[in-house]
Amino acid sequence: MYQFLLTHRYLTSKVMPLLAALAVALCTAMVIIVWSVMGGFLVMLINSGRTLVGDVTVSWPITGFAHYEELIKRLEADPDVAAATPTIETYGLIGLPDGRTETVMIKGVDGPSYTEVTDFASTLHWKPIDKPHAKDTFSEDPRLANHTLWNFVFEGGKRLVRFEKPERGNVAAEKPGAVLGISVSGFNIREQWGFYPGQARARQPDGTVKPVQTILPVDGNVTINVLPMDSKGRAVDMVARSFPVANEFHSGLYEIDHKTVFVPLASLQDMLKMNRATKVATGSGVAINEKGEEVFTAPTVIGEDPARVTNVLVRGKTQSFESAAADKLADKVGVIYRQFAKDFEGQVPPSTSIRILTWEDQNRTMINAVRKETALVLFIFSFVSMTAVFLVLAIFWAMVSEKTKDIGILRAIGASRTGVAGTWLLYGAAIGLLGAVVGFGIAYGVVTNINAIHEWLGEKLGLYIWDPKVYYFSRIPSDLNATHVTIVLAGGVLASCVGALWPALRAARMSPVRALRFE
Amino acid sequence: MTAATTNPAVLRATNVRKTYQLGRLRVPVLRGVNIDVRRGEFVAILGASGSGKSTLLHLLGGLDAADKATTDTGPASIEFDGNDLIRLSTGRLDEYRRRRVGFVFQFYHLLPELTVLQNVTIAAMTAMGKLEYWSKRGEVRAHASALLERVGLGHRLLHRPAELSGGERQRVAIARALVNKPDLLLADEPTGNLDRVTGASILDLFTDLHKAGQTIVVVTHDEATAARADRVVRLVDGSVQPS
Repeated sequence: MYQFLLTHRYLTSKVMPLLAALAVALCTAMVIIVWSVMGGFLVMLINSGRTLVGDVTVSWPITGFAHYEELIKRLEADPDVAAATPTIETYGLIGLPDGRTETVMIKGVDGPSYTEVTDFASTLHWKPIDKPHAKDTFSEDPRLANHTLWNFVFEGGKRLVRFEKPERGNVAAEKPGAVLGISVSGFNIREQWGFYPGQARARQPDGTVKPVQTILPVDGNVTINVLPMDSKGRAVDMVARSFPVANEFHSGLYEIDHKTVFVPLASLQDMLKMNRATKVATGSGVAINEKGEEVFTAPTVIGEDPARVTNVLVRGKTQSFESAAADKLADKVGVIYRQFAKDFEGQVPPSTSIRILTWEDQNRTMINAVRKETALVLFIFSFVSMTAVFLVLAIFWAMVSEKTKDIGILRAIGASRTGVAGTWLLYGAAIGLLGAVVGFGIAYGVVTNINAIHEWLGEKLGLYIWDPKVYYFSRIPSDLNATHVTIVLAGGVLASCVGALWPALRAARMSPVRALRFE
Repeated sequence: MTAATTNPAVLRATNVRKTYQLGRLRVPVLRGVNIDVRRGEFVAILGASGSGKSTLLHLLGGLDAADKATTDTGPASIEFDGNDLIRLSTGRLDEYRRRRVGFVFQFYHLLPELTVLQNVTIAAMTAMGKLEYWSKRGEVRAHASALLERVGLGHRLLHRPAELSGGERQRVAIARALVNKPDLLLADEPTGNLDRVTGASILDLFTDLHKAGQTIVVVTHDEATAARADRVVRLVDGSVQPS
């Protein structure tokens, strides 16, 4: 009991241990802040990466696989599957209105079912908004006005069509349209604070940016070039087709927003020769008449080549960020596919070769990179935080020297060696706990106001640590995870105890008589 | 001679030796001391500076360990209640200091961060488990307050040692030594740091305690202090001088 009394008295009457507590507090705060920001970055990355892929993907790239409608039907019959949708992914070129040509990932999707499986609709940028971005001081964002127009554009984006202006009382015609990543065209320039102000702007050859009248979803067109392959994977001639821009999307991930274009599934199937086709006999359709001339005749139909897609995306009924949930769904999809492959043997890829990937598998490179980066940064900061151990050790060493006589007194009145060591360890734990709690307070304050602090630093000192142009998230993410906080707080207390251990053992080993005679 | 001198010995030191090693030099401080302390007795160990009297008190109180080697005069022992302190484990010695003896030092040795009352109760805390102290904390405080009242410090319970005079600090030290109701009160030059009047008042307190039945061993170089005791043991160069 005397350990608690002395700890309390020493804590409230000495300044030196409070310095040790401060060291623990700063180290604790530092690690919590780093973990929260890196953790938030990871969560945001996972969310963004997951937005456009659903939970599980059945994939057979390049040539694609047939009978996908049947596979989707079977998948959707499963109680754990909410919806499934076919898509095609291929690389191609996009010709932009300013004459540039860029390499992009082209995705053919079926708008209505794709929006059911993914959060595609929520990423569409051009839609009516009521409130300007916090940094849009002059309400320059064109989406604030003319809601009717933006409603049309938004609806068109979801279905990948552009509504053309009706002529002479006709109903609005719709044309298959493309939905571009917000950064594909280069017309939408991000401001420092990560929003797209005013009308679209164009970067000039000299590097300056000036407003342009064209807002792509209103009257912009792009040309999509793809290289079709036949069902054997052999390249056919390049196909180009012009699409009006239906909308632009903003997933938050630079790689996706910069390099992805969506077009209607049927259009891409057609361009890639992956649509339904009639098989005719070789040599049929042409005949030689009596005069010895070639004439066209009805070809001999020998069958049908079904339409193909490269992917089927699946959304589970239970939405979870846990890898295990997606893995479970992937297992289920695998079982369904095995039966499907058996039923269509020879017509679809075998179940041993088909790729069934979870959302995590598809973003594994990026997610693992951030996970490893988080682990590395945490290791470095935790290592740096070890200085707190040595600081506590140094301060406690000095205090044990200063309190040698007290130790002698305690031993004289019967305190055991264990009891004396316990006093100093308890004192170390109290310093650690105090430091950890204060550290958590500091970290909580910083993490919950990190964007305001960053903003203030930018305004007052011109110091922009987090540049959204680089990180592509408009705000510094943070995720104050209770488990992580608990681990760091426990680590702070433990570090302080470790620092106090050696001085505590030294105190315990002191001879009572020598301690009493200490001057 | 008082009645106490005929009581059975509560503490018996036989052939006690203590040698300090100073570098390569071995310095014998006690050279085979024999001393008995009877229950209720007030014994003064009188000696000049360097005679080994404080060392002897530390050995009797289990604060230091005597030499264990057997010499031609026989084995050394310090017997208390059937146990030989020289051969007790560290834990048993701690227990001995906690419950059976109380120390009063020349320089008081109070804990400066604690109040007067806490300086006394802390000795009780060392003798009790956490739960035991928690359940009896009211009684302990009342007992400590009563002791402080008895030594004339009832009005100073919440003061810090720095706010007290030398005599008052020594009274706190006496109350602390008594809080666990020890069999033996060991005092090392209890008046050595006090003026004559204050010293006399402290000795009066010892006399009162002795009259109440407390066994006391006082170490002093002062003849007047020793005169208060039932019996005086003179220590010269680490040996008891025959009376």
